[in-house]
Amino acid sequence: MADHSTHREPTPRTLLRRVLDTADPRTPRRRRSARVGAQRALLETPSSRRLRSQTKMTAGGNPHGTKSSGRLVHAQASGHLEEQTPRTLLKNILLTAPESSILKPKSVVKPVPAPQVVPPSRRESSRGSPELQLPEPEPPTTLVPALLAPGRRKQRLRLSVFQQGVDQELPVSQEPRGNADASSLTSSLNLTFATPLQPQSVQRPGLARRPATRRAVDLGAFLQDLRDTSLASPSDIQRSPVITLPTDIVLEETQPFSQPLVGRSPGMRLSLPLPSHMRAKDTERATSRKTRSSGPAPRNSSPGKPAQFLAGKAEEVNALALGFPNTSSSISGPGVEPLQDGVGEEAEKRMEEEEKGLSLSEVKEATGARGPSGVEEPEGYMEVTEAEGSLGAVEAEEPEGSSEDEETSGRTASPELVSSTPEFLQPKQLHQLLEPAPPPGAAILSSEPLEPVSARLHPRPRAIGPRPRQDPYKTGLSHYAKLFSFYAKMPMEKKALEIVEKCLDKYFRHLCDDLEAFAAHAGRRTIKPEDLELLMRRQGLVTDQVSLHVLVERNLPLEYRQLLIPCAFSGNSVFPAQ
Amino acid sequence: MEEEAEAEEQQRFSYQQRLKAAVHYTVGCLCEEVALDKEMQFSKQTIAAISEMTFRQCENFAKDLEMFARHAKRSTINTEDVKLLARRSNSLLKYITEKSEEIAQINLERKTKKKKKLEDENKNLNEPSEAGADESES
Repeated sequence: MADHSTHREPTPRTLLRRVLDTADPRTPRRRRSARVGAQRALLETPSSRRLRSQTKMTAGGNPHGTKSSGRLVHAQASGHLEEQTPRTLLKNILLTAPESSILKPKSVVKPVPAPQVVPPSRRESSRGSPELQLPEPEPPTTLVPALLAPGRRKQRLRLSVFQQGVDQELPVSQEPRGNADASSLTSSLNLTFATPLQPQSVQRPGLARRPATRRAVDLGAFLQDLRDTSLASPSDIQRSPVITLPTDIVLEETQPFSQPLVGRSPGMRLSLPLPSHMRAKDTERATSRKTRSSGPAPRNSSPGKPAQFLAGKAEEVNALALGFPNTSSSISGPGVEPLQDGVGEEAEKRMEEEEKGLSLSEVKEATGARGPSGVEEPEGYMEVTEAEGSLGAVEAEEPEGSSEDEETSGRTASPELVSSTPEFLQPKQLHQLLEPAPPPGAAILSSEPLEPVSARLHPRPRAIGPRPRQDPYKTGLSHYAKLFSFYAKMPMEKKALEIVEKCLDKYFRHLCDDLEAFAAHAGRRTIKPEDLELLMRRQGLVTDQVSLHVLVERNLPLEYRQLLIPCAFSGNSVFPAQ
Repeated sequence: MEEEAEAEEQQRFSYQQRLKAAVHYTVGCLCEEVALDKEMQFSKQTIAAISEMTFRQCENFAKDLEMFARHAKRSTINTEDVKLLARRSNSLLKYITEKSEEIAQINLERKTKKKKKLEDENKNLNEPSEAGADESES
């Protein structure tokens, strides 16, 4: 082989080549001393490395290597394998494997040097391993060359540390490609030989080299997908609820996760479980909802009123949405704008009025019952609209619900406003939404055409106004009935569950009647903790030995404890005040 | 001290027993009447069970009445407390309310009678000064 001068810095390949070229039967030390001139400078470091590595290797390796190297010299001249010596193998690798193939999975590349290194006589460079790639298609090599150089350096570094045999530079030649066919067999042989070992350091360069195939997320496509999926799912869920009414109510409670996507009645039930799931799916829903709202909204623009309403509501939504940190609302802003463009301005006044009315009612409701009940009512609102057929309403609920949960009571009004407005964004063919306005839930709900909605929806809307019987009964007691069936540890018939629900209903009614009687007995119109304590006394929970505070301490979390049990604080203040 | 406590305990117990005996006797009499009425006999165990239940329920009633009175921030048990107690059973509640109304009427009548009597007496016997005092009183 011609001694190729290293046009680049000495790579393992070049070094190896040099080794092969200048093969000496003598020991490495002698060989090193025998070398002349330019080679020496280059060789010294690799030779020192080799020495080090060789010392690590078994003692018998060196002499063997030197002997084989001597023989290999002649073999090289002949250009074909005479003996399967490490040197010959390595030479073949050098000849056959193209440099550019280094980029190919390093894992394949590395195994070759490893096993080669282990045998003591080997002074291969990792360059040999890339040559194993030769059987693979060559086109990749063309792609790789640009990346090859930096990778090679990395590889070289590792290999220098790793391998023992790099003491002589070998010119990096492009020959391997030409000789690929000729020595494919040998390379394949080498391949089989080399595969077993896989040094860890080998893999890293390969991973680093792998080009990051990242595509920028297409927001539009993403939203479209969300829309499609959410559109698809509600349709399925809508059908199922209509089928069974009583079980549905039970089902609703048990499947909160299925609800959020549903725009229909199932979503309505979710008032309580919704908040928990809202945040998880908030952004998703928000985006899909808002985009969807903008979708159906243009459709509604043809009917004059709904469109006008939508426009007015859209404005409100935008105004409110932009003010909120809610991502959903922010997304809704741009989504809703198109609506406004297509809508006339006449109805805006009316819409504003109604919005005010709605907002008032919402505020009332919000102030009336802040906690979960507050969440329930506005959600009931939204659910009404959902009943009308707007799929996005549920999603509208969620961000509002989550916003309600997240934000302090100060924001009760605004979230509900937002929630109400998105509802109106999706009235679709239901014009009745326009009418409701001031009479909070009942009026709005009754006016809606609830035919498409399952019977469940009927009580739901009414629930908002005068405390209806059916809905709270169904929603609350089914939960207890499920607890009952759980603790029963036995399968229960549905009829049994129904009876349990009836019993629970009577029991709770009785309790509440008692509370009312107690409050009236004390000449009050509001139920106070004293009434409850009296009730618990009658129940036998509170006795002379066990006081109410003890029960509070035992069963309630700390936050409630602080609120219920008077405690003295600094500054001579007692909280809660007695 | 312990002896005193024990003595007290015993006293209370004996008192209770006497009360129970009294209740038992009353229940027995009532059951006899019912038996004559329905021509059905009561076994002794039945009577004993009824009397025991009655006794314990009376205890409960007493405690509840006291609770109700305290709840209304009163120290005396009122007819209102009794009505509250009887609210569970509709018929009983009705009966009690009727009775309480009767009693209230009677009381009113008595009061009016007394007033009239007093006024008459005052007019007859005393001068306007007494009448004024009565009026102020009433």
